[in-house]
Amino acid sequence: MTAPPGFTETVLADPFEIHVGPVFERGSGGERVFLLRIGERHVNMRGVLHGGMLMTFADLALGQAAWDLTDHAHVVTLSMQSQFLKPARVGDVVEVRPRLLRRTRSLLFLRGDFQVAGELIYTASSIWKILGEA
Amino acid sequence: MPKDIPADAEEISLGGFNKFVGPLYRLPDEEGRALYVFQIGPKHMNAAGTVHGGMLMAFADVAMSRTARLVTGAGTCSTVSLVCDFLRPGRLGEVVEARVRVTRKARTLVFLAAELCGETDLLLTASGTWKIGDAA
Repeated sequence: MTAPPGFTETVLADPFEIHVGPVFERGSGGERVFLLRIGERHVNMRGVLHGGMLMTFADLALGQAAWDLTDHAHVVTLSMQSQFLKPARVGDVVEVRPRLLRRTRSLLFLRGDFQVAGELIYTASSIWKILGEA
Repeated sequence: MPKDIPADAEEISLGGFNKFVGPLYRLPDEEGRALYVFQIGPKHMNAAGTVHGGMLMAFADVAMSRTARLVTGAGTCSTVSLVCDFLRPGRLGEVVEARVRVTRKARTLVFLAAELCGETDLLLTASGTWKIGDAA
């Protein structure tokens, strides 16, 4: 699958993310934008993007942002909150720019607003533990 | 069928994303409640050698969405919100079981809670809201 103009394929390390990917990105550091092109393997029997795939994409994108923000520390998801606003379908392109809400010594609070063609379809907020900290 | 999945389990991952990340199974009802299981395989892992959070959330969503349809009799139910807490890492080969409880059933919405249990103790707890029928 070729990258959309201006985007490059995100380098993934987790076998599950490699399995459901690819995803694409542009920008650098803590400012990366991530993009998922919805394929047949991402949808349910009704042809609608599966909630599990959206949550996986959110965990991937927010996890990459957490990694950027901690200078590549080992981070794990503690909790994630999802709101599903509107269905998306095969061929749609989902885009997110993860945002840092707050950072403490051992936690990161992140949020992602996911859009298709400029319209909000899904939001995720997650809390990440920075490992190696007390 | 993975060796640690009970022989009377019914595969429910028949197409699309579920089949792509599956197999996922339903076990015969226990006291009128459906139970769902899957075995953590190599493709479900993260680079740290534990199960990927996305897979656990996807499995919770599948078990809870099916429960929403089961208790309402609706052909489709759409996830509106879902909160997941990750309690401990899951290991390769572990069989994960989802138990779903109906918190409240309203006219157009169903509120559910779920626990995903590994071989020893809880991996994930979830609670969420489903719209009966297609999303608005």
